[in-house]
Amino acid sequence: MAKKVLIIDDDPIIIKYLTTLFHDNGYETLVANDGLEGMTVLKSEKPDLITLDLEMPEEWGPRFYRKMAKESELKDIPVIVISGLSGSQYSIKKAVATIKKPFDKEELLKIVKQTIGE
Amino acid sequence: MMKHSILIVDDEQDIRDVLNISLSDLGYHVLTAESGEKALEIIDQFNPAIVLTDIKMPGMSGIDLLKAIKRRASDTEVIMITGHGDMELAIQSLKLNATDFITKPINDDILDISLKKVEEKIAMRRQIQQYTQNLEKLVEDQAARLIEIERIQVVDQLVHGMTSTIKHIANQDNQGITFLNDFPWFVSIHSPNLKILAVNQPYKEKLGNTIGKNSGDIYKNIEKSSESPIAQTFLKGQSVQGKYLIHDKNGHSMPIMVYTLPVRNSSNTITLALEISVNVIERERLAQELKHSQKKYQKLFDDVPCYIAVLNRSFQITNANKRFIKDFGYQEGDHCYRVFKHRQAQCTECPVANTFKDGKSYHTETVVTANDNKQYHVLIRTAPIRNTDGDIIEVMEMATDITQIRELQDHLSSLGLLIGSVSHSIKGLLTGLDGGMYLISSGIERQTFDRVKEGWTIVQLLVGRIQKMVQDILFYAKERELKWESVDVIEFANELATMMRTEASKHGISLSCKFHESIGTFTIDRGVVHSALVNIFENAIDACLADKNKPDHHIRFNVLIEKDTIVFDIQDNGIGMDQETKEKIFTLFFSSKGHRGTGLGMFISNKIIQQHGGTIQVTSEPNHGTRFIINIPIIIKHIPE
Repeated sequence: MAKKVLIIDDDPIIIKYLTTLFHDNGYETLVANDGLEGMTVLKSEKPDLITLDLEMPEEWGPRFYRKMAKESELKDIPVIVISGLSGSQYSIKKAVATIKKPFDKEELLKIVKQTIGE
Repeated sequence: MMKHSILIVDDEQDIRDVLNISLSDLGYHVLTAESGEKALEIIDQFNPAIVLTDIKMPGMSGIDLLKAIKRRASDTEVIMITGHGDMELAIQSLKLNATDFITKPINDDILDISLKKVEEKIAMRRQIQQYTQNLEKLVEDQAARLIEIERIQVVDQLVHGMTSTIKHIANQDNQGITFLNDFPWFVSIHSPNLKILAVNQPYKEKLGNTIGKNSGDIYKNIEKSSESPIAQTFLKGQSVQGKYLIHDKNGHSMPIMVYTLPVRNSSNTITLALEISVNVIERERLAQELKHSQKKYQKLFDDVPCYIAVLNRSFQITNANKRFIKDFGYQEGDHCYRVFKHRQAQCTECPVANTFKDGKSYHTETVVTANDNKQYHVLIRTAPIRNTDGDIIEVMEMATDITQIRELQDHLSSLGLLIGSVSHSIKGLLTGLDGGMYLISSGIERQTFDRVKEGWTIVQLLVGRIQKMVQDILFYAKERELKWESVDVIEFANELATMMRTEASKHGISLSCKFHESIGTFTIDRGVVHSALVNIFENAIDACLADKNKPDHHIRFNVLIEKDTIVFDIQDNGIGMDQETKEKIFTLFFSSKGHRGTGLGMFISNKIIQQHGGTIQVTSEPNHGTRFIINIPIIIKHIPE
C-alpha cells in the first residue's frame, strides 16, 4: 500500500506542486491549509510523513508541532519542514530535515524515500 | 575688692558648712558640691578660680576631679584636703598640678596661708599674661612703624628710579628713546623750559624730528605757548589730558588725544614731563576694526549651520544665534530645557551640567521641538566659556540638525527591512515557479495537455506577481518625479473598471459601477494613480476570495465629485478587517496575506494618494466587508515633499 504524506501549507500553488510531485513518485497525499486543519487530518488519517510550512495564517508550524509532540501516538510521525524563513532550521529541532524554499525536488524526494521508503 | 569665687567639694555636709562660713567671711564667693561629678557641673557653669576638694570621696575621687579640672581649664587652682596618712596621695596631687594641700582637721591659719599662695599665683599669672599681651602690642606697633618707613623708602626709591631712568633715556641722545618705540603712541619728553628733549620713532615718522624745538610748536589753535599741555603740566604740577589738533611733519592737521605726566625728583620739583598722544582717527580706525571683526564673529555666530545658545549656571539662555532665535526663540530668563524640550525641569542627561562641572566638551544626541512644534533630531556639543581668571562662567551649546541624516538612516533601515521582507516573498514565488515548471515539464513528458496548461497558468500568475513586486520595490526605492497631466475622470474610471471587471470575473466576483456624469478632468500622474487604485481593487478581490461564508461576492465602484474633490468609492463584501489590521494597513511591510503579500502595496497606494494631496479613508467590519474612499483634489494645491 502506498505511503501517505500530509502536506501542510497555506499556498495553493505549493500544495499543487507538492501533491503532483508526490503522486508522480508513488505516494498518496493529504492536504491541510494550516496547523488547525492539519491536526484534524493528522488524527483521522494517520499519515506516514508530514511536510510542514512554518508561516501560516491560522496556526503556524512550530505550534502545530508542539501539539503533535504531546500526543503519544502522533509524536513519532516524521516531519520535514519546508519554509522560506531564514533560521528555520532552529525552529523545530526534532524535524527529520529542514528544507529551504525554493527547494530541490530531487533532494526532497531523496529524504522522503530515506525516511519512509518508496 | 571682690575676691575670687571658690568651690568647696566635700562629701561631708559639716565640712562644707564650716568652710563655707569661714571662706565667705574672708570675702570669697563660695560654691559647694557634694561630689566630684557635681563639682564638674558647677565648674562648667561658673568657672570658679579656686577649687578646694577633699581627696577621698565616694564616686569620683579628689585625684580624679583634679585630673578632670586640669584637662578642662588649666587656670583653675586646686587645693587638696587630705586626711592623716594620705601623704602619698598629697604628693601625687602636687605632681598633677594641684597648687597646695591642707590636712584635716582644717586649721584656719593654714587654710589662710594656702589661699594666699593661690592668690599670689593667680596674680602672678595675670601679670605675666598682661606683659605678654603688651609685648605683642609693642611688637605690632614697631612692625607697623617699620613697614611704614620701608614703604616710604620704597616709594621714594621708585620715584627716584623712575625719574633717573627717564632722565637717563632723555639724556641718551636719541639712543634710549627707541625703548619707547614699541608703543603705538607718540611719546615725547619735555624739559621745564618747554623744550622737547626726546621723541620716539612713531613720533619722528609722523610728526617729524622736533627735538630741541618748543613743546607747543606742533599744536594748532594755541595762541600762547603757555597753553600747551606740557606748559600746563609744569604750571599746575599735574597731568593734563584732552583732545587737541596738531599738524604733522607735512603740515596736515591731525586730531590727537593727549595725556601728560609730570616727573618729579626727590625734592618734589618737576624736572621733566612726559607727553603721550595717539591719533584719534587711528584710534577710531582701530575701534572700527574691532567692531568690524566683532561683526564678523557675530555673522559667523549667526550663520553657522547649527543652533547656538549660551547658557549660564542656572541653565538660562543669555545669548543665542539668529538661527536659534528663528526656530526656537527665547525670552530673557528662559531655560534651555523649556525652549528646547518644552520641559519644566532640567533634563536628566545634561551635557551642559557636565561641562560646568569639569570644563570638558560633551556631546549628546536628542530630539528637540521647535516653535512650530516641528521636531528636530540634533547632535548637541558643549564648550565652556571662561572669564579672564579661567573660571567657567557660561557654557555654549551647539546643536546641529541631523534630522535628514536620521531620516536617511531610517530609509536605509527600512530598505534593509524591505530586502528581508522581499527575499522571503521571492522565495515563495520561486518555489511556486518551480512547481509550475514541474507541472509543465512532467506534463510534456506524460503528454497530458491539462497538466501543462495548469503549470502554465501558475507560471503566468507568478510572473505577474513578481512583476508587480518589482514595480513596487522600484517605486519605493526610487523617488520618481510625478508626470502631471490633465485626465478625464470618467474615461480613467472606465478603463480601470474594465480591467478590474475582467480580473474579478475570473474568480466569480461581480463588479458594479456608478459614475457621476460629466465630472470633467483632474490633474494627476495617470500611471501611478492607476496602480494605486489597482492595488486597492486587488485587495478587494483578495478579501472576497478569503471569505468563505458568503455565496456571492461583489465589488461596488462609485465615482463622484464633491466640491473640488474626486471621490473613488470602492466597496467589497469580503472578509473584512479587525481594528488592528485596519490601523496597520498603510504601514510599510504590513501584510495580512501571508505568502502573497510583500507589505508594500497599500503603503505605496497611500503614498501616491498623499502625493496627489488626497486621502484614503477605510471603514471595515470583520466578515462584512471593507470600504475604501479615496479623495483626490481636482487641482493639487501643494505638492507635499
